[in-house]
Amino acid sequence: MPAAPTTFDRPQRWDAAFDPKMTDADVDRLLDTPPFSNMRAENFPARLPLRDILKQDTSIRRYRQGELIVRQGDYGNSAFLVMSGNVRVVLRPGLPPSLLGRREPARKNVFRLLAQMWANRKEPESLQASELKGDKRIGARVGDGDEVKVFLQDVPRVLSEQKTDLIQRGELFGEIAALSRMARTATVFAESEEAELLEIRWQGLRDIMRYDDALRKQVDTIYRERALRSALRQVPIFRRLSDEALQEVIARTELSTYGDYDWSGEYKRLAQAAATGQRKQEPTIAEEGDYPNGVVLIRSGFARVSQKFGHGHRTLNYLGAGQFYGFEEIAHNWRNPASPLPLQYTLRVIGYAHVIVIPTTVMEKLVLPAVPKGDLPPLITPVESEIATAPSKDAAEKIGSEMLEFLTESRFFNGTATMVIDLERCTRCDDCVRACAAAHDNNPRFLRHGPSHGRIMIANACMHCVDPVCMIGCPTGAIHRGAFGGEVVINPVTCIGCKACFNNCPYEAIRMVEIRDESGAFLTDKELNPIIKATKCDLCVEQVGGPSCQRACPHGALARLNLNEIDVFANWLER
Amino acid sequence: MNSFVKQRWLGFSLFVVLSGTAIWLQARWFGTVLRLSYLTGWVLFAVILCLTLYNPRKKLPFLPLLSSEAWLQFHIYAGLLTGVLFAAHMSYRIPSGLFQTILACLYVLVMLSGFFGLFVSRALPKRLTARGGEVLFERIPAIRHALQDRAEALALKSIAEVKSATIADFYSRELRGFFEGQRNLGLHLLEVSSPVNRLLNRIKDLNRYLNQEEQVMLEQFAVLVRQKDGLDYHYALQLVLKTWLFVHIPLTYSLLLFTMVHIVLVFAFSGGAQ
Repeated sequence: MPAAPTTFDRPQRWDAAFDPKMTDADVDRLLDTPPFSNMRAENFPARLPLRDILKQDTSIRRYRQGELIVRQGDYGNSAFLVMSGNVRVVLRPGLPPSLLGRREPARKNVFRLLAQMWANRKEPESLQASELKGDKRIGARVGDGDEVKVFLQDVPRVLSEQKTDLIQRGELFGEIAALSRMARTATVFAESEEAELLEIRWQGLRDIMRYDDALRKQVDTIYRERALRSALRQVPIFRRLSDEALQEVIARTELSTYGDYDWSGEYKRLAQAAATGQRKQEPTIAEEGDYPNGVVLIRSGFARVSQKFGHGHRTLNYLGAGQFYGFEEIAHNWRNPASPLPLQYTLRVIGYAHVIVIPTTVMEKLVLPAVPKGDLPPLITPVESEIATAPSKDAAEKIGSEMLEFLTESRFFNGTATMVIDLERCTRCDDCVRACAAAHDNNPRFLRHGPSHGRIMIANACMHCVDPVCMIGCPTGAIHRGAFGGEVVINPVTCIGCKACFNNCPYEAIRMVEIRDESGAFLTDKELNPIIKATKCDLCVEQVGGPSCQRACPHGALARLNLNEIDVFANWLER
Repeated sequence: MNSFVKQRWLGFSLFVVLSGTAIWLQARWFGTVLRLSYLTGWVLFAVILCLTLYNPRKKLPFLPLLSSEAWLQFHIYAGLLTGVLFAAHMSYRIPSGLFQTILACLYVLVMLSGFFGLFVSRALPKRLTARGGEVLFERIPAIRHALQDRAEALALKSIAEVKSATIADFYSRELRGFFEGQRNLGLHLLEVSSPVNRLLNRIKDLNRYLNQEEQVMLEQFAVLVRQKDGLDYHYALQLVLKTWLFVHIPLTYSLLLFTMVHIVLVFAFSGGAQ
């Protein structure tokens, strides 16, 4: 009788390999190359062998001289390892926006503002041919497969004008941005005639780090040195710490990533299937009633604060980057060691969250003694613990838990400029839509329709997210954060209509449109395919006075709100 | 006090102060100041012109000319003020003469249409929201057609599946007309729901003569009737919200035109302004 085959849970992400073209021969080559040749395969569990991680979670990319590998300000979920050739990181002063595929920011002057009265185009989505010409200092070519690669035309000039640093064979870069979902801090391009890089998606990097001490220590050290210090200094309770104390806090801080980076895809699938019960899939960071092990600081992503209610949980708040959880309980217990309280709320991940945990012992020994008494939170009383909501008690009460549930389930807290419409004041006059069209060459950039709860509707307009998943994977850098206020904008010149942003956006706020010329004829490429561009709300970044939609509403029914700040929304509801 | 209440108090207080001042000055200067009606007339005309500028402002949303909300607040309270100025200009008398009567009537119509607009702008959105089923006005005809197609298909399906024409006959007799166009618009405005209740009662009455399979189909008709009624409700209320300005604005421009003729006539027959 044949032995029963060994079975194991195949990681879900391996349903779709990062690069289906990776062969066993490629993996063999990787396993003979440092740092993988120095890793001990036996340290990896049977369900996650190093070989399979390399095959499923990596991709070998080849770049020719001048080709951009990552751009400063882009979001990405992968890190790169240099396998051969030289690549350079641009340090100072940094490449100009046009070289990164972006548009130089320019507010309209008074003449251009007035000219909109007669110069707006009659044809929808029309552009002059001259407007589609990009910076001549960059070019684009199709690389492996259909991948479009943008390259710098004059690398020696860039090297002479910019301070750069060489990244050599065997070095890793982009790991901090990949693991903590932060914007890339520098631009990297290939310097040698040809460079071969291994791109590792974040899940693979996370798993390799989990089972290989050397890589974990390397990444951990870089992370603590470069990112953690500035992150902690931004939080008020750590501002008064001495450098030595902060160094000790940094050394003893724990880092964790929860949930799924690809939450947008999962969210879209659930939204399309109108599925419910998403909370079952939300990993728990800390549970109500447990001993507080430490203060949880959200570094990126989002988490839900909830409290037991009946047989379920009631959402009381959601936390975003820079907000923390567990501080009130730890501060309470530190001042009242005789009657310690457990955690009052549960903290769950919504989508994904990268968190920093400062252990209770560190808080008690180093942090709390340095916080002035007046800055400490009030002691938790039994009455408060029954009805309280963590940070924004008043705001959460004003909004109500059902509305919070709606915002949370739909992930609208991601928006920094979410278009919120008060349906009890909105006369459906569409002045907002007309104003938007007037400010964008007669092309409205949003739909006055969308999910609603009670008297609140969230319109289909770009929310300019904290976590802009639309920006992941843009091959030309066309979608980027604007220089004025971090708005997410698209440069029509460098947009190649690949639909990466359109497919990534979980809120369906991006539209693909066929471009016309001034006579109204559709523009086509040499194969007679229509020229397609992604369009969306740009928050009237070129106009003076802010978003036209908001200024055009006669009844104060429409506002662009940062739903990450719950108090702002609560005040607007009660206006 | 929330910001809307504060806004109302501020606007109303300004209106009271300015109106009181206008009435007091008119009373004080009446008979002593030469050609007082010229002064009140020009002030009234200037305020009306300012009110009229709101429409061009709406056409230029990209210019930083204060928010539309601020303009509307000015429009409401300055519009009220024109009532006082108009009465003062007329020296609180009923107009005499055909031209003056037309001018006064136009003014009253503009004022009344403005009040109507303000009322519907404040009242109808709440009703639409309470009813639910938010829908874009422009999409209503397409949705109505889709509902009609579904109802037609259901009627045909009932013949094929249950081998009986009872439901199809009922549909032809009672429901087809209901699905064919927008219905009961005036009654929806008055929040009267008796027509749809009558239809639903007839559906309920028919229920007792049907077998179980037919009853399931009839229930689907009841759902469609409710959906269509909701659509008609939205159509009726949104139609009013969208069309009242088509009365208010032409009346306003007519008033402006007559006012300018009035000014020309006054100057032509009074020997010129002093």
